[in-house]
Amino acid sequence: MSAKVQLFLCILTLAGFLSVPGTRAAGGLPDTVWEQLASEDDHQILAAIGVLINNHDDGVYRLLIGLYESRLYIYEERSEQSGLVIGGESETNDDGDEMIPLESAYPNAVLLTDDAGAPLRIDSFDLIPVETNREIRAAIEAYRMRLDLTHQDPAVRIQASESLARSGKLSVLPILREAGQIDKNQEVRRAIELAILRLQLQSKDSLDRFMAAEGLQEHNAIDLLPAIAVRLNPESEQYEQDQRVRERMKEASISLGNWRRIADISQMAFFGLSLGSVLILMALGLAIIYGLLGVINMAHGEFMMLGAYTAYVVYLIFSRLPVEYAELSFWAAFPLAFCLAGLIGVLVEALIIRRLYDRPLESLLATWGLGLILIQGARVIFGDNVNRPAPDFLTGGLEILPGVVLAYNRLFIIALTVFMIVGMFVLLYRTNLGLRIRAVTQNRAMSACLGIRTRNIDRTAFFLGTGIAGVAGCALTLIGNIVPNMGQNYIVDSFLVVVAGGVGKLIGTVVAGLAIGLTSKIAEPVMGAVFAKVFLLGLIVLFLQVRPTGLFPAKGRHADQ
Amino acid sequence: MSAHNLTHDTSQRTRAIIWACLFCFLLIGMPALNLAGIVSDSMLSQWGRYCCFAIAALGVDLVWGYTGMLSLCQAFFFCLGGYAMGMHLILMTGSEGAYGSALPDFMVWNQVTELPFFWKPFYHPALAIILGLTVPAVFAGIFGYLVFRSRVRGVYFAIITQALALAMWLTFNRNEMMLGGTNGLTDFKEIFGFRLSGDPEVVAATGRWLYLATVVILGGAYMLCRKLVNGKMGKVMIAIRDSEHRLRFTGYPIVNYKVFAFVVAATLAGLGGMLYVPQMGIITPSKMSVSASIELIVLVAVGGRSSLLGAVIGALLVKACYSEMTSRIPEAWPFFLGGAFIVIVLFLPNGLVGLLSRQKKGESPA
Repeated sequence: MSAKVQLFLCILTLAGFLSVPGTRAAGGLPDTVWEQLASEDDHQILAAIGVLINNHDDGVYRLLIGLYESRLYIYEERSEQSGLVIGGESETNDDGDEMIPLESAYPNAVLLTDDAGAPLRIDSFDLIPVETNREIRAAIEAYRMRLDLTHQDPAVRIQASESLARSGKLSVLPILREAGQIDKNQEVRRAIELAILRLQLQSKDSLDRFMAAEGLQEHNAIDLLPAIAVRLNPESEQYEQDQRVRERMKEASISLGNWRRIADISQMAFFGLSLGSVLILMALGLAIIYGLLGVINMAHGEFMMLGAYTAYVVYLIFSRLPVEYAELSFWAAFPLAFCLAGLIGVLVEALIIRRLYDRPLESLLATWGLGLILIQGARVIFGDNVNRPAPDFLTGGLEILPGVVLAYNRLFIIALTVFMIVGMFVLLYRTNLGLRIRAVTQNRAMSACLGIRTRNIDRTAFFLGTGIAGVAGCALTLIGNIVPNMGQNYIVDSFLVVVAGGVGKLIGTVVAGLAIGLTSKIAEPVMGAVFAKVFLLGLIVLFLQVRPTGLFPAKGRHADQ
Repeated sequence: MSAHNLTHDTSQRTRAIIWACLFCFLLIGMPALNLAGIVSDSMLSQWGRYCCFAIAALGVDLVWGYTGMLSLCQAFFFCLGGYAMGMHLILMTGSEGAYGSALPDFMVWNQVTELPFFWKPFYHPALAIILGLTVPAVFAGIFGYLVFRSRVRGVYFAIITQALALAMWLTFNRNEMMLGGTNGLTDFKEIFGFRLSGDPEVVAATGRWLYLATVVILGGAYMLCRKLVNGKMGKVMIAIRDSEHRLRFTGYPIVNYKVFAFVVAATLAGLGGMLYVPQMGIITPSKMSVSASIELIVLVAVGGRSSLLGAVIGALLVKACYSEMTSRIPEAWPFFLGGAFIVIVLFLPNGLVGLLSRQKKGESPA
């Protein structure tokens, strides 16, 4: 019985909405509504609700929510609108009585005042609450849902359809169907269709369930895989009794299972791509420095950390400025991190690395010592763990396929990496400076003879290499916290990128970075993060059996120095 | 590659005297002071542990100082030996553990009902000792062969070994390995019949014996390395360090020599680890972390690379400084260690022992 009433009300609501919105009797609601609401008769109240819904506006919404939350009272001293008022937050006075401030019921919330003009507060015993029952609440609930389903923000509409689906009430199906037909947003339509299918799956009619299974398969709705699985489980209470439906469901579940695997792999590949990007950003600098100077900069991860802390400090400074500048702080951090890390890099080059050009192993140890000092320095200054919130436009993600979400922050890192690679390519292969860097990399003595100032080239390369690490650190604040030893998480992997890629060509770093990023992320779900790392190391050692100098080695006599 | 030519002729004698004094002090002086009550039992045990690191440092010196291969996974070999001993000790605990089970306590927590097969050989003390030495040796042999065969050297070798150290550290942290996970192995009761827990007097006596054994083994390892570097092997190792290509073109099987040096170093590291565990009373994966391996390098760098005496002195000195500093101003230790690295590498490439020859010869080292 009650379901029928609900249905009736739903249709009523619908009719109200679909019928020319905006035309409403001037001056608001018919006075009978107030009498009906104050009548203390359920049927009268339901009828009043029907009228109110048909005359929907913000005031009606407020009134109905007040009724739903049992905050609608009859205050007999008041004559307008049959004495109906909406109560606010109650306060207990000194005598222990609950005193409730009152607002007018419609159209706007006007605080009622006593003769002296002070806010009116009435003892709860002097107010008669308008009683609600299940039917009334269901009617208002449906009205609310209906409102949410036509809300102007698509996210609210999607959320509404999902919560309707979760409610498991088949009675809302007509509302959903109607909303699905009129909605113009494709994402919302999909959400609504899924909600319908999910409800249909629980229908008593086996044809509905059959159709639901079919529809779920068609939509690749992997999120609903468990809902089907529970119906295929013989021990479950919801076990599907109809054999034909069961077979259809089995088919759908197999198809969805396959789709889920595809989605998982794509997601992992995406993570791998973003990990690979970070590794490439790190390895670009390492490789150029190693190629030029034969030095592995063990403190490279700490330059990345410097970049991250630069971003944090920039954020702190900008957070004192008006909000409009918040986004600017995000963009300003990148060049600043590049310059700061680069300048410190040049300093380190002049003070330490320069003196060790002929002793690469010693420079490895010295830079490790430097890294230790930098880490401890950051810990002393900043403490253990700080965090820079990502800008708003990088929160959320892009759902390219059902179940495959590409997070914007990771997409940004990938784009940044592409930008840096292109930049490095142009610099190395299309400019005079790049020509000189490559010349010194190939043959330092000959380049010096030809008049290239190799010292300047070294310094420039160090600036570039450590600067890029700073940018990498800046980008990493998007996906993680800023901790003093954050560089350590990536440093060994980025060394491996340099080893596997070789130092002769830019492309080696790019290919090796992507390969290592992808391999580790794809191997992780199969064998766990730890054994994936062991597996990766094994692969690289074996790879070096075949290509001892990496993928794209430098050729010629200088290659073996 | 510039050669770090340490002409030993004049300083050789000085070094021999220093070594003799140091060894006698460790072997006789310290126990005597301990008996006299000047050096406490815990101090003696601390010095015993420093000696374990000195043994490992000898190995580091062989591969890095003499052969020029910067191995950043020596701490892993140290821990392989340490775990071998730890497994034996924990099995000897028998049903004395907190749960009264014949299985190690951590297995009881992890609901393991049967001892994993690879634990079984460690029941036997001799077998445990042999495994503690051979497992690192075999591991180093296979890994070294693969790496050296593909002519990975210099910085690349350092990176690959560092990656190995990282991967192994992560692996040993896993509970599935049945090696105690992050908590490692601890709560030992006795070693070869001597008590490690219980009556303080008895435990102190065991500690003294362990200390003496460690010092004697350190002396033996030192003599062995001495013999090695003074013979043909030592000359080839130095030649590999200074000009590998020339040596290869002369027809020397470089790979074999390198693998041999790497294996000896790994065995020494394993030996140090085996002696370390009963004196420390615990072995955890943190002892094989990436930085632990680099810290082993600093021992040799401070003392003086290409000098066995330097390795021993460096190990004792740095470890003593470490205990002092971490107990007084813990935050300053990384600054000190990092600074020591930079200063030593820049200004004292031959470490403290290098100062000796500089004074004698009046020339700056390389």
